[in-house]
Amino acid sequence: MYAIEINGLSKSFRGMYAVNDLSLKVPVGAIYGFIGENGSGKSTTEKLICGHLVADKGEIKLFGRDYTDPGVRVKVGALIENAGCFPGSSVYTNLMMQAINLNLENAHEEIMRVLKIVRMEDNVHLKFKKCSLGMKQRIGIAMALMGSPKLLILDEPINGLDADGMRIMREILVEVVTTQNCTVFISSHILGELEKIATHYGIIRRGKLVQEISAKEMESRARVFVSLKVKDTEGAKKVLKERFAVVKEEEEYLRVYDEENVESIVECLLKNGHAVSEISKNKIGLEEYYIELMSEKERE
Amino acid sequence: MQNEELKFQSPTFFQRLKGMLGVDFYRLFHTPMFYIFLAIAAIIPAMVLGMTSMETAEGAVPMYTNTWQMIAANIPLYAVRDISEYANMNMVFIFGGIMVSIFIGHDYKSGYVKQLFTTHAKKEDYMMSKSLVGAFSMACMCVTYLLGTIIAGLFVRASFEVNVGSLILAVLGKMVMSLGWASLYTFLNIIFRKYFGISIASSFFFGTGILIVGAGAIVGNSPILNVFLYGSSVYACLSCGIDALLTCIVVSLAWAVIYNLVGSMVLYKSDVY
Repeated sequence: MYAIEINGLSKSFRGMYAVNDLSLKVPVGAIYGFIGENGSGKSTTEKLICGHLVADKGEIKLFGRDYTDPGVRVKVGALIENAGCFPGSSVYTNLMMQAINLNLENAHEEIMRVLKIVRMEDNVHLKFKKCSLGMKQRIGIAMALMGSPKLLILDEPINGLDADGMRIMREILVEVVTTQNCTVFISSHILGELEKIATHYGIIRRGKLVQEISAKEMESRARVFVSLKVKDTEGAKKVLKERFAVVKEEEEYLRVYDEENVESIVECLLKNGHAVSEISKNKIGLEEYYIELMSEKERE
Repeated sequence: MQNEELKFQSPTFFQRLKGMLGVDFYRLFHTPMFYIFLAIAAIIPAMVLGMTSMETAEGAVPMYTNTWQMIAANIPLYAVRDISEYANMNMVFIFGGIMVSIFIGHDYKSGYVKQLFTTHAKKEDYMMSKSLVGAFSMACMCVTYLLGTIIAGLFVRASFEVNVGSLILAVLGKMVMSLGWASLYTFLNIIFRKYFGISIASSFFFGTGILIVGAGAIVGNSPILNVFLYGSSVYACLSCGIDALLTCIVVSLAWAVIYNLVGSMVLYKSDVY
């Protein structure tokens, strides 16, 4: 069983497909990073899962049930675009409304619990409109966490946050997954941050799913490279290209791909009179993996 | 995860409606807008009763000589002949329309509607809840309107002569019609949910009874037109009997059912925002 199972989902706006025959599977308990460029259909997919948009065709199942089933719906929390709070009301009042909406018995305790998770317990009576962007995003997460959902759908929750805000958000999500056995479906442009928490990825391009991959799979597939710095970059590049298959220049560094033997690279350079001032062994990250994949698709 | 799946119990219709109604009533009582509209409903009849006059050969005379003219017309009027016949408790339906528009408009403007529709799969819950809260608000406005009218009547020393039974039935009839009107406004606001200004304008347009006035001017007075376009509100007059109240109950329920069904259908077939 999957937390989210989508088959052949399509949604068009005035004849233009935002999501086109999309199929994906999100395992239970995963942090599923949903990646794609602007306008690729990430938000539309999330809105379709949340029932905000009506699909042209296709099927959405949540925990094996039809996504419109109220039984499964009450276990879904979402943060789509904004927190969905009344600006003139306090943080507490906004959360209380969600507690009443969900028929929660211990509303006050639940509000304090979620506020503690998002580190907002000291701002209970602050009006929503007085909150900073980071606070608003955290309140949005708190709204979504009311009633201990089993599925969280988050649309760009770390957008516009500073480094500290991103760290807090990351910690919150990891805590939610580990303590509440919750599945998280999260879209983000900030791939470096996503990489730190995601267990699975779905890469979408022009409304179609390009690739679905687990973080472990990506790790095993990720190309290794040796990054090094020399004085004469052009000369060293020429020398390395004679011996190694893929050598690229990245700013003031040279990268030798698919080669793990650092000694052989250093030896080759020294033989040709190039002293190495910096050297490190790396694996390409999510961002580079994504860029490479997108370039590949562009060429197709 | 099999055990987890067993925990997904579908809430019953009443549990869902309880949640949605709970939110809406909580919001209603925690927003100044509701109290402002209650005050408006009390102040407007007092102002109309105390300040309106007609120019005659003998000079300016009060337009309203009997306090209860502010509540309802003497006989059922299918089309308005002059403003004093119209300016009665039916004005509550205009205030109510604007209030329902603002109430629903805020749902969309704040994005709260997304929270509601994420957790509530059933669109009819939303329609019903808004209609019932709107009806409750308008019924409350009818009460403050009545109080405002009585106090103003005492101040201007207007006559209080009336058939008490008919008066009670007329007030109850208009309160009952609140449900029909609230359902109409909820429906209109769902149709124009992306355009807040048009939502308010449409509620005002229907609430003022411009349709019945226009239709009456073209085809003449007609009880059928009144039922279709004005929800039989004017049957609730100062000479009405129990049949008028029953008519109001039937028409109000019919409006509520029709507009809730059509509104839910619209929500199911189209994007939420």
